[in-house]
Amino acid sequence: MTGAGTARGAGAPAGLARSAGGTGVRDSLRAFVTAARIGWRMEANWTDPILFFIYSVAKPVSAAMILVVMLAVVGGPGSAALQPFVVVGTAFWSLVTSGISGLAWSILDDRERYRMLKYIFLSPSSFLVVLLGRGVARLGVGVAGALITIGIGVVFLGVPIDITRVNWPVLLVATVLGLASVVAMALLLAAVCLQTRQESWSYPEAFAGAAFLLSGAVFPLSILPAPLQVVGLVTPLGWWIEAARRALLPGAPSGIGGAGSWLAGVANTTQPDLGWCLIALIVTGAVATLAAALVFRFSVHRAQEKGLLDLTTGS
Amino acid sequence: MTTFDLVGRSGAGPRQDAAWSPRQVLITNLRAIRGRAYPRWRGMFREKSWIFFEILLPFLQTAAYVLVYRSLHAPEAYVGFVVLGGVMSAFWINVIWMMANQLWWEKSQGNLELYFAAPMSFMSILFGMALGGMVMSASRALAILLIATAVFGVTFSVQSWLLVVLVFVATLAALYGVGMVLASLFLVWGREAWHLGQALTEPVYFVSGLNFPVARLGLLGALSVGVIPLATGLDAMRQLVFSGAPFPIGTPAPAIELGILVLMAVLSTGFARWMLAAMEQRARRDGRLTIRWQ
Repeated sequence: MTGAGTARGAGAPAGLARSAGGTGVRDSLRAFVTAARIGWRMEANWTDPILFFIYSVAKPVSAAMILVVMLAVVGGPGSAALQPFVVVGTAFWSLVTSGISGLAWSILDDRERYRMLKYIFLSPSSFLVVLLGRGVARLGVGVAGALITIGIGVVFLGVPIDITRVNWPVLLVATVLGLASVVAMALLLAAVCLQTRQESWSYPEAFAGAAFLLSGAVFPLSILPAPLQVVGLVTPLGWWIEAARRALLPGAPSGIGGAGSWLAGVANTTQPDLGWCLIALIVTGAVATLAAALVFRFSVHRAQEKGLLDLTTGS
Repeated sequence: MTTFDLVGRSGAGPRQDAAWSPRQVLITNLRAIRGRAYPRWRGMFREKSWIFFEILLPFLQTAAYVLVYRSLHAPEAYVGFVVLGGVMSAFWINVIWMMANQLWWEKSQGNLELYFAAPMSFMSILFGMALGGMVMSASRALAILLIATAVFGVTFSVQSWLLVVLVFVATLAALYGVGMVLASLFLVWGREAWHLGQALTEPVYFVSGLNFPVARLGLLGALSVGVIPLATGLDAMRQLVFSGAPFPIGTPAPAIELGILVLMAVLSTGFARWMLAAMEQRARRDGRLTIRWQ
């Protein structure tokens, strides 16, 4: 994937060695872009764009509609007030699901289905860079699903998003940091899937589903027992969704704070301000990224030692 | 040699050996069912990570929906609806990923041609997959049911145990029948199968009323009860095990839904048999039975 068109043969032996290693910035960028293009083509080149679009948005829109109907079933003013909260939370959550699945499924695709994983290891490109590139395509699909879900929420469900009142800088920063945290968690699941068998297809979504409980995406964390609230607060996803939702919907109730929450008891506020949310997102995201990188490194090393890179299974 | 002896071949010559008696055909097909179910059963004990990822984590997802109702102070019966939905979703996931997608997966793995070359009905392979899948999913569903019932204090008010059992069995039969139909379709669809599998999870959960009474969807709900076994089975079981719950009217009585499920099971199994033959023929004609990764 480094190709002959990179800086090889520039004359300096050190540069040559670096280039041959495939780890220079240009080489890494080229590997990333190539992997992203492969990922996108694998995702999308089997059908026409309209069918692909339908498949891509059906999942997040349905996930939001399940919750919308649940609110309608119960009825009352509390349900109506919670609808925008739920629609926006579910839309952002579709990014978590698609982001986490993308990287983990790349491992399973390349190892079990296409049997290319060992060849990727043999190539001079960094495995991590290739993997991240492969995951980008599915993350892109997730972004489209999230936007469509929010659009449907605004047009058909009356979610009150006023573009003149949206806090765009906070939304942008929170989304970039949040997506980085999603990629960190995806790396963690990729590390798990490197060790497990073919049935791990369901593991990323199961993980995302469980994290759903601790994120405050569709209900306030305050209704959980205090220890679970603490677990939710040390993960970056809750802070991301809180910051992004309040940037989109100023005045929305807090998903991580609120009356009677553990955070309110500790921080003496029922609604942490957006600056605080972003700082917490940076700190928890950095910890998650570091932990994911360490686990991934260990997993790759173990997979090489145990001969798991060309393992195929069936059931 | 042992294999030949087990099915009672004479060994008199190839022509005589090729003329199987009904008993030989039956035994071979039963063995194929057992053989195809075996890896699914055995796999449960080989790698234990599924206990965490397929019981504990899905339970937490179910818990999230329970807490949505709790946060809205919904009637407690709705918590039970969610738990029952979580239990039945284990079977639907299994049908989509380990039945419908399986033949496409086997094609990519290179096993499919071996199935076609082997001397048994392909339906035996599908029955074996279904049987093994039911055992796998039942263990997961039971674990989620027990944990969720204990944690959330779900109280069941059962109208008729016999009817509950019949509805449950008929639901599984209809679900796996649909899985067999989809498996034959996915055989020729290639990569679209993967995406269709994705599209058949949350959207089907929604139209089946996984976490709410399907009658709330009006005409869409009625259509679902008529064509999606998950919707029919869930609605019937909810009516039977939460008999005193504030249930929106609009769907048929459990006995009628049982009839619909039985009809679905019979039709889908027969249709699967026909579809499999048709799709196999088409795949042979188009030369797609051994094409991988497309």
